Amino acid sequence: MTLLGERRIGRVKLSQLQAFLGLIVVFILACVFSPVRRGELIFLDPGNLTDILRQVSEKGIIAVGMTFVILAGGIDLSVGSVLAFAASLSAVMLMRGGYGTPETLLAVLAAGLLIGAVNALVITKGRIQSFIVTLAMMSGARGLARLVSGGSGVEIGYGAGGAPQSFSVLGGKLGQFVPVPALIFLATVAIAWVGLNKTRFGRYVHAVGSNETASRLSGVGVDWVKFGVFSICSLLAALAGIIHCAQLEQGNPNDGVAYELDAIAAVVIGGTSLSGGTGTVVGTLVGTLIIGIINNILGLNNVDANVQLLLKGIIIIGAVLLQRRG
Amino acid sequence: MMSYVLEARGIGKHFAGVQALDGVSFGLCQGAVHAVVGENGAGKSTLMKILSGVYRADAGEILLDGEVVEIADPSAAEASGIAIIHQELNLVPALSVAENVFLGREPTRFGFIDRRKIERDAGALLDRLGHRLDPRRTVESLKVSDQQVVEIAKTLSLNARVLIMDEPTTALAADDVERLFGIIRTLVSAGASVVYISHKMDELFRIADEFTVLRDGKMIGHREANETTPNDLVRMMVGREVSYTRMDVEARSGEELLRVENLSSHEIDATGRRRLTDIGFSLRTGEILGVAGLMGAGRTQLLESLFGVHETTNETRITLNGKPRTIGDPRAAIKAGIAFVPEDRKAQGLVLDMNVCDNITLARLERFTRFGFVQERREERAANEYVQRLGVRTPNTRAPTMNLSGGNQQKVVLAKWLLTSPKILLLDEPTKGIDVKGKAEIYRLIEELAASGLGIILVSSELPELLALSDRIIVLHEGAIAGTLERSEATEERIIELATIGDEETREVA
Repeated sequence: MTLLGERRIGRVKLSQLQAFLGLIVVFILACVFSPVRRGELIFLDPGNLTDILRQVSEKGIIAVGMTFVILAGGIDLSVGSVLAFAASLSAVMLMRGGYGTPETLLAVLAAGLLIGAVNALVITKGRIQSFIVTLAMMSGARGLARLVSGGSGVEIGYGAGGAPQSFSVLGGKLGQFVPVPALIFLATVAIAWVGLNKTRFGRYVHAVGSNETASRLSGVGVDWVKFGVFSICSLLAALAGIIHCAQLEQGNPNDGVAYELDAIAAVVIGGTSLSGGTGTVVGTLVGTLIIGIINNILGLNNVDANVQLLLKGIIIIGAVLLQRRG
Repeated sequence: MMSYVLEARGIGKHFAGVQALDGVSFGLCQGAVHAVVGENGAGKSTLMKILSGVYRADAGEILLDGEVVEIADPSAAEASGIAIIHQELNLVPALSVAENVFLGREPTRFGFIDRRKIERDAGALLDRLGHRLDPRRTVESLKVSDQQVVEIAKTLSLNARVLIMDEPTTALAADDVERLFGIIRTLVSAGASVVYISHKMDELFRIADEFTVLRDGKMIGHREANETTPNDLVRMMVGREVSYTRMDVEARSGEELLRVENLSSHEIDATGRRRLTDIGFSLRTGEILGVAGLMGAGRTQLLESLFGVHETTNETRITLNGKPRTIGDPRAAIKAGIAFVPEDRKAQGLVLDMNVCDNITLARLERFTRFGFVQERREERAANEYVQRLGVRTPNTRAPTMNLSGGNQQKVVLAKWLLTSPKILLLDEPTKGIDVKGKAEIYRLIEELAASGLGIILVSSELPELLALSDRIIVLHEGAIAGTLERSEATEERIIELATIGDEETREVA
């Protein structure tokens, strides 16, 4: 729940604008600190900008799913493991099972959906907090990933006896500049925006997240809403896993560690309240981009990766402090 | 004149425009048990919170041993020897009895808690109370009455001379009440003084030496126990004014809308009693049925049970429009045409983060949904219609509900339910925390809705409100119906009698 009397401009809450402000500030800073090559800022190079989008797309897609869960007042810690499971399952189906791309996609997405459904079922029927249930699933899905893959990465090879070429599209580019993962990410954001702002389900997600009791007393199917958000979250984590597999040409059961924390960070930087009810998926897009740009500019300047981690921590706290003042 | 241990003179306190206490004076004698009585909302709790430093008075002074003192906060009260035991106990369940008694004041040895010392000391305190209890047991493993003894031991360890007890017997079974009284007598004979707040007349006359009666934040009178009777006190407690008179008091006997038989709660409270037992009544179209009772008598439980929030026993029969129905959850209740305005607007009635329109349509959103998409224009039109019909004062339907006044928030909740086209409207304290003008508007709405054919069940702690609006009033006492009063025979005295003493006849039979 938000603080009483949150300031708004029209229908938009100030804290959400703040995230945009943060993005602009980070963008300007990135330009200032960008190394220069042949008189041009490397940061602003179209190739670099689209590459940022590509780099953030996997975690971004996960963060979109996380936005649903957090808006409804929950948390999902299993997404990193689900990504690893989905990536492993994809690689195994393509390379060892000899399945085509469509069957693989369908099966992996369905598996993701099923994991989310299991999470939701235990949370609603067992009356256990989502933190605990998804913490267990974080371990469970990781185990599944290792089981299907045999414990180590399954390489993807194309051509005879390998994966169908069509799968590589998911990790590739359209034309010179447009990475397919980035397109999928943006499409996910757009669909999620419609889902959260224009549908009955979206309205219920907000209602349950900000006041579960009042929602239940108004006849809202609270359990169904939870079922929905956890299913969506795991489904999107599985989608991110497929893209991960296509981009790396490998399904590794040990990947995706701590992705859940990056996703939560993006959601929080984007202005969504961890206690549920208020926030937007556009904010999550902004939060994802802020993290992506910072990582990019630090990388361009050859800043030590360990220092990058440290800075990320500081930025998360800074972003949340800024919002609270809004 | 006798000297007082603790005395309050001309205490005044108001909250956001409501005068909770107005010139209340009260004196506690050494070694006495002094009962403070009054209806719900008479100002008892506020007075106790001022004496124990939780609130500060706007006017008046507090004297301790005849000297004016400043009780700025609870720790100042504690230092002056005043301790309060709230209805909700203030213990840490996972810690032991001894740890709870000395919480925050643990004696240490080499930086570690001196466990043996606190256990020995706690044991000694419990002995002084004449109560056998292992100081090493965790508080959560104790029954409520023993937990209460731990609280009392804690106040002893603080050398409290004045002990304030707020409704201490609410959760106690009869023999535990007796033991508590034994402990209170022990304390008093050792020189302590007790301020005792309760609704239960029979208990009060067993323990109290004197009475102070409050009503609407004012002191009405003071009586010695041996010169008064329960009925005398009841007469002093009533007499609130209400400025509202109903437009038509003709009994509107429509057809029977709802019949409830043998309704009993599945849940059992701390005293081992079902929260509701064998409730039966009927409701006709256009009728306003009032439900009276003390706090904890089961009024809210009754409404929530009808709305499918709480489980009822298999013997419960609910007949709606002549057909038997089972209502398993709020969704089923809404489908059956029942609407419920809960007591706590902010926690149960509204989604404060959402705007007026979204709140109004929440219970009936499917009406404005096509293929899963909300048709915002139709939704907004409907919301606007209800905003106008009920006179909700809001800049527009997109304004956040958070910033509306209590009365307008309540109208939003009502609008939400009217949109579901209910046949039965359950109202739990619909004017709680609403100013006089807002109240009158809500009253008029309730009346209009009844006139339009709805059956209304109204729970209220404000007897004048209940008397002004209800066609009939059922009075609950400890989860059962103590009596049903027709409009012509209902008076405040009669209601309070039934609510505080119960039904004498059935009591003797039982």
